[in-house]
Amino acid sequence: MGSLNKDTVIAVVLIAITSVFFWETFNIPELGYASMGSEVWPRVIMTPLLILCVVYLVQSFRKKAAADGKSVSLGTVISDYRNPIMCFVIFFVFLLTVEYLGMLIAGVLLTFILLTAIGNRTPKALALHVAISVASVGLVWSLFTFVLRVYLPEGELFSVY
Amino acid sequence: MIIENIGLAAAQVFEFHNLGLMLIGVFFGIIAGAIPGFTVTMAVVLSLPFTFGMEPVSGLSTMLGIYVGGLSGGLISGMLMGIPGTPASVATTFDGFPAVRNGKAGYALGLGVWSSFFGGLFGALVLATLAPSIALIGLEFEPWAVFSLIIFALTITASLAGDNMVKGLIAGNFGLLFAALGAEEINAIDRLHFGIEELSAGFAYLPVLIGLFAFSQLLGDIEDPKVAKASLMEKTDIKVKIEHWNAVRTIARSWVNVLRSSFIGVFIGVLPAAGSSISNILAYDQAKKASDHPETFGTGEPQGIIAPEAANNATAGGALTTMMALGIPGSPLCAIMLGALLIHNVVPSPVFISEQPVLAYAIFTAFFVAHFMMIGMQTFALNAFLYITRVPMYTMAAVILVYCAIGTFALNNSPFDMWTLFWFGLLGYLMKKFGFPLAPVILGVVLGDLAELNLNRAWTISEDVSLFVTQPWSLFFLLLAAFSTLFPWYQKFRGKRTWTLAFMPLMLMCLSVPLFMMNTPIRMGIGIVMIGLGAWLLWRSHRTGWAVDAADTVEHKPTIEAA
Repeated sequence: MGSLNKDTVIAVVLIAITSVFFWETFNIPELGYASMGSEVWPRVIMTPLLILCVVYLVQSFRKKAAADGKSVSLGTVISDYRNPIMCFVIFFVFLLTVEYLGMLIAGVLLTFILLTAIGNRTPKALALHVAISVASVGLVWSLFTFVLRVYLPEGELFSVY
Repeated sequence: MIIENIGLAAAQVFEFHNLGLMLIGVFFGIIAGAIPGFTVTMAVVLSLPFTFGMEPVSGLSTMLGIYVGGLSGGLISGMLMGIPGTPASVATTFDGFPAVRNGKAGYALGLGVWSSFFGGLFGALVLATLAPSIALIGLEFEPWAVFSLIIFALTITASLAGDNMVKGLIAGNFGLLFAALGAEEINAIDRLHFGIEELSAGFAYLPVLIGLFAFSQLLGDIEDPKVAKASLMEKTDIKVKIEHWNAVRTIARSWVNVLRSSFIGVFIGVLPAAGSSISNILAYDQAKKASDHPETFGTGEPQGIIAPEAANNATAGGALTTMMALGIPGSPLCAIMLGALLIHNVVPSPVFISEQPVLAYAIFTAFFVAHFMMIGMQTFALNAFLYITRVPMYTMAAVILVYCAIGTFALNNSPFDMWTLFWFGLLGYLMKKFGFPLAPVILGVVLGDLAELNLNRAWTISEDVSLFVTQPWSLFFLLLAAFSTLFPWYQKFRGKRTWTLAFMPLMLMCLSVPLFMMNTPIRMGIGIVMIGLGAWLLWRSHRTGWAVDAADTVEHKPTIEAA
């Protein structure tokens, strides 16, 4: 791994993904009556895609020689991308809990936690975060629920409909 | 018939609630444009959850309001802070920011706003006159040609990735692949779902678009903790009053610059995938070259403000022309608007204008009207926009992220769509980090079904593959696709390698072949002109002993850096 550059790893991952999808096209039922079967188009896409991924892989080998050989530790990545990683994790938890908590509560919590995780944590800032979370999510939720008549996940704690 | 269609369209656009929606759209567009880091594309994407439930005219008018507002909103931060709000206003900062520092904020903003207005009107005029004419040509396209046209759109979008051409093509293919997942409508088969029930229906367009553009953009905006906590625009306590009269007088005196820049804007917009981020710089460059005092550029020169602002709004008209006439988006933003059309069950294709004339003319009208709204909004609410831009980025990002989730769910009442948003947000973020352009993916997702449908039609009519090169329009687009694939290398080596001298002549001569095959006097005449031009270019190169001249190349980068 240490001797591979970033592009090589990505190229290999892309080749693997494309190969898995290509393999899956053999599970598409072939229809006798169809002039062009449902498996044809995905294969039309994936054949050049595979070739391009291989070209990308070859290019990455060429680049390797010019690479400066700097290694990046996991700790550096986490530190450099702390905010996006936190966002993804918090959003992931939101998606897992939204059906139980409901969109309103989960949305307010998501906004508050995101604001607090990324922003300042002074008492004044926390109070502001609560106000922003409740006001913004409350407004959008009300708009969708009462004006646009969209039934957002109600959750098991709070009944609206 | 045309008058009747325009009348029907205008009646819908000028409905009170529609004008209100457009006004809201322009308002949010200007805010999005004014905020560095937010893009007009993202603003339009975020409007989709609201507009998808509206009537097509209302939904698209609102989106056009955002589009026009966003293009002109970029000049606010560009001029006042020196930070372009959008890539479309990069060149505006070159002279706009120095002009503000020289104490001419009101005058400079006036020039920017009114140049945007006139450039936009020029674009609207071209859109309304040219699109129906090009659409008539589009009626000649048979399935082979439509398929080849989509291939061309994908290759030219990928070619804009420059050195990352391969990455651009990979991205475009993955876009097509994402569109191919799940339900296949022609044979009613679920495919490539790996036994996952939710995947059998495929991905809905909007969560994919919102994830790729908005979600990933927000994550990029908050990446740096210091930037995330800072206000979007510092020092926005300046009170500005636009000097309309002075600005309009200067613009009237600079009509040549306005026309030239607008023309450049429209031309760039018509090219698939080339957008206002290119046109504003190109127009600035040309204005500088045409000026009697090029040394004043970069010091607050009015012509340097007029050119990019006229060009970037005119580009929108050009991009919409290609989208409406051929069903091919001229920019990522138009790709999103195509996606919006699909949601309203309007299939983008070369027959769009002839099949949906009222909707088409409503788009023309709304685009035109939006420019008047933009002027009014910039005049009366400029200081309010400046106030909004004091909000820290992380606050805006957190609120919009939740809104993305709610809006995405609301599209189909499906939790799976929120997961789609999440995964495509992650994918978009990683793609940007690893240097893969997003525009080809979007184009692939939006045009994938259309490509498959036309390939299927072509195959059903005849299994003869040679028809792709014997049908004139199909050959024309395939040749364009081939040359656009080679274009990044041409750009890279132009002025350095001998073969680049033959690139343009060869392209002109090759493209003349399908024109001769069309067998009409005008097209054959164009073909002869193209061959003549190609031959003349070759003869010129031969006369100079095939000597490459690096000084002959137009490099924009140094211009930007110098400015």
